[in-house]
Amino acid sequence: MAPVEVRDLCKQFGDHAAIDNLSFDVEAGRVTGFLGPNGAGKSTTLRALLGLVRPSSGSATFGGLRYDELEQPAARVGAVLEDASFHPGRSARNHLRVLAVTGGHPAGRVDDVLAIVGLGDAADRRVKGYSLGMRQRLAIAAALLGDPEVLILDEPTNGLDPPGISWMRELLRRQAADGRAVLVSSHFLAEVAQSVDDVVVIADGRLRAQGTLDMVLGDGDVCATEVRAQDPGRLTAALQRRGHSIQRDGDMLVVLDATPERVGQIAREEHVAVLGLAPRVRSLEAAFFALTGAPA
Amino acid sequence: MTRLLHAELIKLRTTRTFVALTGCALAASLLLVILTASLSTIDEVDLRTLFASDLSSVFIPLLAAIAVTGEWRHRTIASSVLAAPDRVRMLAAKTLAYALAGVVISLAVTASIMLAGTLIVSGRGGTTLGLSVLADVLWRNLAVAALLGALGVGVGTLLRNQIVAVTGLLIVGFAIEPMLATLVPEVAHFGPLVGAPSGILDITSGSAGALSAALAPALAATVSIAWASATFAAAAALLRRRDLV
Repeated sequence: MAPVEVRDLCKQFGDHAAIDNLSFDVEAGRVTGFLGPNGAGKSTTLRALLGLVRPSSGSATFGGLRYDELEQPAARVGAVLEDASFHPGRSARNHLRVLAVTGGHPAGRVDDVLAIVGLGDAADRRVKGYSLGMRQRLAIAAALLGDPEVLILDEPTNGLDPPGISWMRELLRRQAADGRAVLVSSHFLAEVAQSVDDVVVIADGRLRAQGTLDMVLGDGDVCATEVRAQDPGRLTAALQRRGHSIQRDGDMLVVLDATPERVGQIAREEHVAVLGLAPRVRSLEAAFFALTGAPA
Repeated sequence: MTRLLHAELIKLRTTRTFVALTGCALAASLLLVILTASLSTIDEVDLRTLFASDLSSVFIPLLAAIAVTGEWRHRTIASSVLAAPDRVRMLAAKTLAYALAGVVISLAVTASIMLAGTLIVSGRGGTTLGLSVLADVLWRNLAVAALLGALGVGVGTLLRNQIVAVTGLLIVGFAIEPMLATLVPEVAHFGPLVGAPSGILDITSGSAGALSAALAPALAATVSIAWASATFAAAAALLRRRDLV
């Protein structure tokens, strides 16, 4: 049984289906990117997992149990919500103390997680003086408090500067390397592409793709081939005779739906000298846009 | 439940609102007692009624409502529910915490005003109250404070909007219930913020005396408990099924 299982999940807000029959798993020891454009239903899905939103139908469970059925939920699941908020008049240390007492975690754990996220020196300052990045770090500290087996992070890089994003990537990788299941949502693929193993792509509340990052977004069978030939006109005619579509890009031909091997073979048959031949790998962003239907 | 209660008490202690409102309750109560005990003729000073004028009963429901609505205002309700997914238990812990806070604040305020009033009246050669009467006033003040603290949590959870909750409590306490006391006193005796609490306090003179005369303390306590319980039940039902988006 996977640490996180979402099965046929639906959530209706009035007439609007925020989540529509969504199913996916998150495996232990892997970082799973939960991707989709704004309004795709990512936050609603995560909130349904965490028991904050009541599903209209279907289930979202941790090892088969709903969040509110877990023995010590804060010790099993750590979560960072998109709008991580804190009482502005309370210090980071006091905020974590409250959570530690509620979750039954040892008091010493507060200092441990403050050190992990690099907030040790600012622990006694009131949160209202914190930058957005510091608030995100505090939210992550709260999620790590119970040393959970599952981490759920909703847009955790929001508000982080480039060093912060890099720190976050390393943190995610480290958590997964320690055997935790990490589910991280983002509407910005580039921010998570370097740190995720698997991806779940949704749009309009529906699953669009699920699998490893390469499998889902690399999608080799729709690649094109870039070729530069001594006689591009002859090669174009030969390719077109064989049913391939050609686009001109300067002095280069872009052959759609043909592998470099196939293009090379045709050029050899037609005795056209090839000056350059390479696959055109579709960018992750382009693949993401194609899956989600978002404008590229 | 002990952990949740402990956590709620830490939340309560670690914000300035608690200190500010406790300070206001203490200062306003002391001012009222000192002025009344000093400026009234000594025969007019009714110490029992004066010591029942523990103004923490005004501030405690406000404190509770501000704290609970603050969970929505500062958007911390989701993290609170994540830490304690049983929402009804969480609400029960908040209710207990603010009832307990009411007792502690009222104890401090009542003890202070009793000390100040007794010193002033005895200094002016007047008659002071015996320990049994003081103890009687004290437990009534504490009971009212506890019930109003619990009521404030329910009101805050139901309304969620801080301004609406605070304004609503002030309007009910300072406008609607006094107006009802004038127009239909038999209804006003059952009011949640002034009517029933005045019955518990068993005030027999002054402007509130007319209110309390109708409900015996035991009945008034039952009415106040019913208000707090009904508000809790409604708040719990709403909180359980509310999506925290």
